[in-house]
Amino acid sequence: MTNNQKWIRILLFFLTVFVIIIGLWEPHALIFGLQRGSLYALIALPLALLLGIMDILNLAHGEFLTVGLYISYLLFVNLGVDPLVSAIPVFFLLVIIGAIIYQLAIKRVLGAGHLNQLLLTFGISMVLIEIVKIIWTTRPRNVYVPYASSAVTFGDFRIGSYEFLYVILAVAVFLLLRLFLKKTRLGQSIYAVGQNPKGAEIVGINVKFVYFFVFCLSIGLLGIFAAVMLPRISIFPLTGNPFSLKSFALVAMAGLGNIGGIMIAGVTLGIGEAVIQAIPGYAGWSDLIFFGVLIIVIMAKNLQGAK
Amino acid sequence: MKKSLITVVLLASLILVVFANGVLAQDGPIKIGAVNPLGDVTGAQSTNAMELAVEEINAEGGLLGREVELIVIDSELRPEKGASAIERLATSDEVDFFVGGMASGVHMAQVPVLKRYEKITIWAGAASHQVENAVGADADWYFHLHPWDYQQGASYGYGWKDIAEQNPDIEIDKFFLAYEEGAFGTDSYQSYVEYFEDAQAGEGPYAGLMEGLEGVSFKSAATGGGDYRAMLRQAIDYDPDIFVWAGYDADAIPMLAQARELGFQPPLYVGAPPGWPANFGDSPLAENVVLYGMWAPSLNEVSPIAKHFWDGYIEMHGHEPATYFAPLGYTNIHFLAEGIKHAGTIEKEALIEALREIEYDTALGTTLSISPSRVISNQGFSEQKILQWQDGTQHVIWPFDVSTSEIVYPYDF
Repeated sequence: MTNNQKWIRILLFFLTVFVIIIGLWEPHALIFGLQRGSLYALIALPLALLLGIMDILNLAHGEFLTVGLYISYLLFVNLGVDPLVSAIPVFFLLVIIGAIIYQLAIKRVLGAGHLNQLLLTFGISMVLIEIVKIIWTTRPRNVYVPYASSAVTFGDFRIGSYEFLYVILAVAVFLLLRLFLKKTRLGQSIYAVGQNPKGAEIVGINVKFVYFFVFCLSIGLLGIFAAVMLPRISIFPLTGNPFSLKSFALVAMAGLGNIGGIMIAGVTLGIGEAVIQAIPGYAGWSDLIFFGVLIIVIMAKNLQGAK
Repeated sequence: MKKSLITVVLLASLILVVFANGVLAQDGPIKIGAVNPLGDVTGAQSTNAMELAVEEINAEGGLLGREVELIVIDSELRPEKGASAIERLATSDEVDFFVGGMASGVHMAQVPVLKRYEKITIWAGAASHQVENAVGADADWYFHLHPWDYQQGASYGYGWKDIAEQNPDIEIDKFFLAYEEGAFGTDSYQSYVEYFEDAQAGEGPYAGLMEGLEGVSFKSAATGGGDYRAMLRQAIDYDPDIFVWAGYDADAIPMLAQARELGFQPPLYVGAPPGWPANFGDSPLAENVVLYGMWAPSLNEVSPIAKHFWDGYIEMHGHEPATYFAPLGYTNIHFLAEGIKHAGTIEKEALIEALREIEYDTALGTTLSISPSRVISNQGFSEQKILQWQDGTQHVIWPFDVSTSEIVYPYDF
């Protein structure tokens, strides 16, 4: 057994103990955390893909999510399309938007250094926010569908059922993505490009196409997640911003390219957040979970590097 | 001889120029400088309403025979922009009066600049008592229209007492306050704690009303939160008679949806955000939700001036006003105009006196008159209204003299 495997086993053991204790103390917090954590993991996944495969830190991540939310909202309000059904057209529309932005801007900073990429994606983020503000103003908008407030009851135990969809979707997306990356030719190419782009190019993989595909897929996935979460949140120009920050924390915790780790990190941090929120008077400390973890991970990596 | 003639001609010309400038200045427009956040619905609609008021005044021949000109600068809800806007209006545009605006944080930065020029200022929004402290007791040129935060809280206490007295079925003893964890929410909670302490001592607006108080914070959707279930579960355990939440417009519908999901149904469900989301009234979740505010479109049924404002606004701008900052902005300009008419001059001392004397029927359904508040001597409104969503319409429940419907009790989804 390698050192890493040993650490993972220890970590999983403590995680299991933590989950059991929380489940006994406050089962609601455990379920709320599992649901929200799955959503955080889903939203972080495209960011992890872009970072892991393309080595791009996309500061406009949350804004693409916001655009997806507004498109889904438009489809609901103007055409009466149920948000869950709208996930499909929103996926394709965001793929198109992603393709346009990739061709116009992103491909020009590939390999141009992280600072240029950060500045460019920050600029894209600002442009998207302002466009949304011009079209829809800053007033929050909502979609109400009765099934999003449904609940399941076991005796005195009542819990909302809609957000279990996040858990199911997270498991499905992570499994499908894993299958795609391992079992298909394109998936293996993506994997190879993520590992060693120069080597992949030498063996004949079309690296440019892989980058284009991964970028479009990542933005499109955000469209699906936006449509699914629409009935549960308010949308306004800065809706996506906090999800960006949480996604960065998750990616940092899971490690670059560790797709499976994102799910574990998301659920862990989601439960941690829900536990803090369940303690009367301490709800405001819940952000500490995410950003505390981010700081610890960065410090630990720096210490490791120094050694 | 020739030299002295030239001197005389030059002097005469100089006198003529000075005189002519004076006459022109007298004949020029009365300039009102407004600072509003134009990117926000409150500021945009307040500005629209100000434009309507100015158009009405000019259509009736202006003020003192002079046209009224409104110069608007966007504060962008940023303190430094708000402060520099005042500076620009004073120096570059040379306005006679300042009006506006909203957001206490922005106004805190504007107050020192306003103090530098000491022009007559009639400020519509910015309700934090910290603004009042910053303005101070000596600023006799400063008029403030919106009730201060402590006045709002007190007026709700009086309102609920009146409502409970009129409706014996309504029992309001246990209060639960859900507050967002930022400055707005924690200030609200602090006020409630003070009211509760006073009530326990048999004093203040909540005496005999508030017998229990529980406060729980939540992270607002506006600042990255949006999961209220932990807070709502604590509310369920407390089983309050009245549930009040102090957060932002982005929290309104998700909180209601999550309350429904958890089966939380307090007898009174009250929202106290500064604004409501677009089309909130159209949502089935809005039914019978109580809210605090200064105005509701249903006032058109009981107030001719409110109806006049409503019609004029739609005719001029092509959409309905959606926030009370619209009639407040309209009031802002008309109140100043009434003062000028009453004073017969724009001279500072006389106008301050006139503004203190007049009583003006506003589009908010309430008569505006000036009286001292805790610190300043020129405070306008001192109470808010208790409203309720009924069949997609905001109805005024209290004060009873402008009420448009009776309260629906208990809250039921």
